[in-house]
Amino acid sequence: MAKMDRRDFLRLVGAGGVGVGAGLLLAESIKHPREHLIPYVVPPEEFSPGIAVWYNSVCSMCPAGCGISVRTREGRPKIIQGNPSHPVSQGRLCGLGQAGVHALYNPDRITTPLRRIAARGKGGFEPATWDEALSSLADRLRPLRANGQGNRVCLLSEGVRGHLALVFERFMEQLGSQRLLHYDFAHPRTLYAANERVFGEQHLPYYDLRNARYVVSFGADFLGSWISPVHHSLGYGHSRQGQPGVRGRFVQIEPRMSLSGAAADEWIAARPGTEGLLALGLAHRIVSAGHYRGADRDDWASHLSRFSPESVASETGVAQGTIERLADSFAQTQPGLAIGGGAAGNHTNGVDILIAVNVLNHLVGNLGAEGGVVFNPPPVVDSPRRQAGYRTLSELAQDARNGSIDVLIVSKTNPVFALPAAADFRQALERIPLIVSLSSFMDETTALADLVLPSHTYLESWGDDFPEPGVGFPVGAIAQPVVAPLYDTRASGDIILDLAQRLGLGGALPWKTMEDCLRQGWQEIHQRGAPGAGAESFETFWNSVLEAGVWGQDTRRTGHLPAVTARVIQDSKVDAPQFSGPADAYPFFLHPFLSNLHDGSGANLPWLQELPDPLTSVVYGSWVELNPTTAQRLGVSDGDVVDVESMHGRISAPVCVFEAIRPDVVAMPIGQGHAEYGRYAQHRGVNPLQILAPQIEPSTGALAWSSTRVKVVPTGRRVKLLKTDGTARDLGRGIVQTTAATTTPTGADHSAGLRNIPIKVVSA
Amino acid sequence: MGVSIVPALRALKPAVLTIAVGLVGLLIGFWADAAFFPATSPRQPIDFSHKIHAGDNAIPCMYCHVQARRSIAAGVPSVNKCVTCHRIVAKDRPQIRKLMEYWADQQPIPWIKVHDLPDFVYFPHKRHVQAGVACQTCHGPVETMQRVERVAPLKMGWCLNCHKTHEVQNGLDCWTCHK
Repeated sequence: MAKMDRRDFLRLVGAGGVGVGAGLLLAESIKHPREHLIPYVVPPEEFSPGIAVWYNSVCSMCPAGCGISVRTREGRPKIIQGNPSHPVSQGRLCGLGQAGVHALYNPDRITTPLRRIAARGKGGFEPATWDEALSSLADRLRPLRANGQGNRVCLLSEGVRGHLALVFERFMEQLGSQRLLHYDFAHPRTLYAANERVFGEQHLPYYDLRNARYVVSFGADFLGSWISPVHHSLGYGHSRQGQPGVRGRFVQIEPRMSLSGAAADEWIAARPGTEGLLALGLAHRIVSAGHYRGADRDDWASHLSRFSPESVASETGVAQGTIERLADSFAQTQPGLAIGGGAAGNHTNGVDILIAVNVLNHLVGNLGAEGGVVFNPPPVVDSPRRQAGYRTLSELAQDARNGSIDVLIVSKTNPVFALPAAADFRQALERIPLIVSLSSFMDETTALADLVLPSHTYLESWGDDFPEPGVGFPVGAIAQPVVAPLYDTRASGDIILDLAQRLGLGGALPWKTMEDCLRQGWQEIHQRGAPGAGAESFETFWNSVLEAGVWGQDTRRTGHLPAVTARVIQDSKVDAPQFSGPADAYPFFLHPFLSNLHDGSGANLPWLQELPDPLTSVVYGSWVELNPTTAQRLGVSDGDVVDVESMHGRISAPVCVFEAIRPDVVAMPIGQGHAEYGRYAQHRGVNPLQILAPQIEPSTGALAWSSTRVKVVPTGRRVKLLKTDGTARDLGRGIVQTTAATTTPTGADHSAGLRNIPIKVVSA
Repeated sequence: MGVSIVPALRALKPAVLTIAVGLVGLLIGFWADAAFFPATSPRQPIDFSHKIHAGDNAIPCMYCHVQARRSIAAGVPSVNKCVTCHRIVAKDRPQIRKLMEYWADQQPIPWIKVHDLPDFVYFPHKRHVQAGVACQTCHGPVETMQRVERVAPLKMGWCLNCHKTHEVQNGLDCWTCHK
């Protein structure tokens, strides 16, 4: 063997060493990754590891007030379902409600109080402690209150009900401020006004879809976005399939097919803004054909004389024969129910349109009847109606510009996003010396705040809710925290109560926390006569309400029905919708619609972002829906980016060719186009609300968000439109079998409806 | 005229030797890792002996792992549970002092999992305990182990063998365990 010199030896030692090291690393790298078993230091009493605990609470993702059951494991919510005992949701829940866990676990939540250090809106914040933040706010409020200048403080919150509304009311009252406003973009302001005018009711009635045999919906996408979609879907399902041998019939009238339109037997694309005219055309026929038997028949006949089907046909774009056929079948198939809302209620004559729809309900005699319009008892805990329309917010903005507002407290509402750019709300806010935001997320309004007081999500808070509209009998539910707060946040109510303590308002607001407030409030409900109240103690009652997630009384409202006279349509302006922009320069009606993302508040929830639109199947981003004939005329197809321009602004989005839309209508989903609001919402799509004309319905001051005209200009750019669908065309595959109307034994009425459904636009 | 490869081999000899030594080192390293840092019996933050507890003192398994009969997880006892006994028992042993340090800091003990199934396997302890399967069937004779060691392979075939011999209802259905 050759002699080994020093260099050889070192080389071999080195090789051996590297080899051993490599061997160790290799063995380690192919091992199963090490996992830990972390015990509790002290085990919790409420749950056992591995065993799910369900808590009942209330959803606050939209104002419907569904009861929810939340499955938790090891103290963490895993899934949210509908509470089977709650009459609104009855065990079901919509996508928005399911996505509530994404609000809780959202990585973009604000985790600690923040104080602005950079220029406003530039995003420069530093963390602060709760004590610092609240005492600095209290120091600003104290002198205003002492000097009788409480009205220089404004509290602008999302629509709140129950005891949180009460806390807000008392707090502002004690400050001496009148400026307490709620703002929800989709709040049906015109529907409230129409119901008040026709029925004299402060609260919305219950629309008994469940027992209705015939539903005519004027623009209300009640299965998708209108008021309480989960509850309506349950009622709709029962009406269609829940009774042997009975299939409720349902007609949807809207310029762009919504989820409800797609489910309807017949879809009629009346001209935007003429829905009320069409309703009165139906009313005319109902009266003239003798379907209405009231004593004031002649009165109605004379008031309706100018709305004969013949005369409204050309204006509405619906054939006279169709109007008469609809009116006859609606009046003859009882119980029948007419509902109106959505885009139809948000024209400059929105209230008149909805009054006309209500008139139909009166004429077929379904007021207070099963399967009709059932009047609700007043909510168990009622509070003044505070929903601000566009006019009120414009006045607020004007006051801000005049310098008459010193402090604005914003709670979970986002007017900077959900108002037209023409309102210039953002610029108005910049004139307010102190803006405080109570929000879980850095939305567009919160980004302008000087002080951010991060609020709990609803899954971490105490609260209660009395659904509005109710379900025909008194119902309430307590929202209980289903998880310990994840971050250094506080419930909105607790923040206000803490402020009240600091300002010495303990007399009117004696509670330390919302939980105390709720307990006292529900003690009163208990004493007032909960069923069996004498038999059980309050603790038992409280625990049983928490456990069941709902409390209700089996009493319906009785007594006389509102007297509806023909005078409600005396000065009706159903035939005079106003649109912004001259028709020759701006040939299309802009039809913004509520999407999966609700009014945009759901845009930061990944599940909702990846949920395809139910009609077009487009995922992520914004799109512009055009009728195929319109698209052809403009020379664009799927994915061509177009500018949509109104008198008040311009936005660009890709075209989605959609068959179920009128050729003179351009539809765009609401909800995208956030400049702030976290990683999932930001810089995705455009916000059609930004280009809306600042037109209002004059009697309510509500924004008439369907009354903007636009023009569509191709930009020449193209993007890939993300759709999960293939083509909407048959392409000779025989997927959609059709048959001539004359050959069906079931009658022409049914098949005429079928033929009208997907593509054909009913025209004069 | 031929070309001899012998000179080339001679020139390569040192390189071959180096690689051979390296490979032997690799094997030694691999073996050493398996022998001294076994995946089936990792060293724990506290040298807890099941032999003393379950063997010598015959404490029943479910005295500490209380959840096994009613939850999918057997549950590892809380620090509090250890401390309730060890406030009195064997307080001066070094390992118990370690335990008391965790308790003083109110920190959990980061035990290392010995029996770990992939996340796509649904394994409920309660079903097995309620069916009368002894803990030792899967966990081996824990009461004799100074440091817990994984004895069973915990592979799918091994699970299915047992399901087959015991004729478990739906025991061979994919969705029984993968759901």
